[in-house]
Amino acid sequence: MSAQTPEFVITKKDLLQGLDKALADYQVAALTKKDDRVLYDIIKSPTEVVFDYQPTVLSPKKFFFPQDETILEYTADGKISAKIEAKPTVLFGIRPCDLNGFKILHEAFADDHGDPNYLAKVEQTVVIGIDCEKICDKDAFCFKVGSQDATGGFDLMLYEIADGYAIEIATDKGSQFISKYLTTSKANGDEITSCQAKKAANFGQEKPFKNLAKLPELFEQNKHHAVWDQEGSRCLSCGSCIMVCPTCYCFDVGDEWQLNLKKGERVRKWDACMVTPFAAVGSGENFRHTATYRLHHRINRKFNFLMKKHNQAVCVGCGRCVRACLADISPKRIAEAIGADS
Amino acid sequence: MRTKLNLRESDPKLYLPERAKILKIKDFTENEKFFELALLDRPKLGHVPGQFLQVSVLGIGEAPISISSAPAEHNRFDMCVRAIGDVTKKLHTLNVGDIVYIRGPFGNGFAEKTLSTMLGKHLLFIVGGLGYAPLRSLINKVVPERDKYKKISVLYGCRTSKDRMYAHELDELSKIGGNVELLETVDKADENWTGSCGVITTLIPKIDFNPNETIAMVVGPPIMYKFVLKALLEKNMPKENIYIDLERRMKCGVGKCGHCQMEGIYVCQEGPVFNYAEVEKNEELL
Repeated sequence: MSAQTPEFVITKKDLLQGLDKALADYQVAALTKKDDRVLYDIIKSPTEVVFDYQPTVLSPKKFFFPQDETILEYTADGKISAKIEAKPTVLFGIRPCDLNGFKILHEAFADDHGDPNYLAKVEQTVVIGIDCEKICDKDAFCFKVGSQDATGGFDLMLYEIADGYAIEIATDKGSQFISKYLTTSKANGDEITSCQAKKAANFGQEKPFKNLAKLPELFEQNKHHAVWDQEGSRCLSCGSCIMVCPTCYCFDVGDEWQLNLKKGERVRKWDACMVTPFAAVGSGENFRHTATYRLHHRINRKFNFLMKKHNQAVCVGCGRCVRACLADISPKRIAEAIGADS
Repeated sequence: MRTKLNLRESDPKLYLPERAKILKIKDFTENEKFFELALLDRPKLGHVPGQFLQVSVLGIGEAPISISSAPAEHNRFDMCVRAIGDVTKKLHTLNVGDIVYIRGPFGNGFAEKTLSTMLGKHLLFIVGGLGYAPLRSLINKVVPERDKYKKISVLYGCRTSKDRMYAHELDELSKIGGNVELLETVDKADENWTGSCGVITTLIPKIDFNPNETIAMVVGPPIMYKFVLKALLEKNMPKENIYIDLERRMKCGVGKCGHCQMEGIYVCQEGPVFNYAEVEKNEELL
């Protein structure tokens, strides 16, 4: 486990009080319940927070990169302006897979051409992670892709200890949040030894892919492996895997007029490289015209093309796509088929 | 060590387009129109040949369109637009004096470094249909400076003689003589066409070139590349001497939206102009 020494400890009661205090200045999003489902959503009171993690359908990337987002506004007479919206936000209780996802999202949107809509949100957001002590369900495979521990993407990280949490501080923003909102006591530094031992025991024999670092090479060598067609021929091209993925960041852009036709806006929306027209051009040519090609592209983004750029597997093993897929397609199984573990 | 979410520099104008006014419109074919535009808010576009713009009609959307004019020291530039999607069909309904919005220029184009390797060489342009639009930005740069090159050959193929774009300029190009030659062909000849008939590759044997001293620039419909590349390689042209300029779906132009990504390559960033030797193993690109 790669956790750093915690600096503070906090009781659960003080943590909840701190969140309550923060609600005066921030919108707080946390794992919460709606009917019988858990999801990341804006809460009105800390009592709504669910601490016992269960996998959510959508990842918390939606708070940095919303499903629909207006990026321009214009009027019929041609006045045009960029629309960049962000609110002070606390993202509470984000788990290691999604924190590693945030890192990737950040590099994608912030590097080279700094995306103003994304960066405005990052600037105003405090991310508080909670470490996972156990594997959340049978579909999660964070441990296979080196993502069971968060390597970044958070301001504060909480580790469960008896009667509360030990707090690791990653950024100044995190430090300021503690001083303004949280009542803590100084940590001894050894608080997380026992929770780390618990985590190690729970994850047991689950180890990363033997060839994790060599995945880009393996995928490059296996462009024409039979697994692509075996899995791809079942794909329904629905794009669900992408809607739920914490590290898919492709988008479409479209214009919409208001009903009065006096004002319009340009909206970006999540898009999916698994849907048929994603790579089609006006002339009708589609550069990935079969589901097999599209699956090859998506999985190679995770383990080859973008893995080289981000220096980590871009699939964080959260298991959301596996749960969402109606055709039972799994990135883990594809990686294994091309020799990730042999 | 922990990786922090460092705040990198935000570009507040990344998706904010600027105004350009339509100065001139000409009908080329049934589906293709020529537009001359002028930037209203800065003195020049500052592009290199082969780059493209994201062109908006407000309320309709944005589409990637090649810059068709050579780099210039004034605020005017050209595009040739085929009416094929929502934005391009709307562009065809606009009039002189109307405003469109642009972002860019984007892509690598034929940058100064690439252009300098062309000096003294035989330039071989192999162009199909609408491919003349992006390559015109380079042709119109090198033809006036033709003394700097050994020879300039333009091979242009269209479906029929009615599909020829920039017909007036092609006629002028054919009259220059000296080290500039234009060879044309059509897939289907009609009664008005007295020139060659056949696909573009039938023109390649008609020109005399030393493959080691020649740089080829290939632009056309997707199907054309395979055959032209095969013909050039059969003539022993080194792969490093071949440039291709590609069209892909693009939404952002800045390497984020993912639409133009072919295997690991973002066409909007690393292309649309590629050296064939550098991308020959990319199966989605070719």
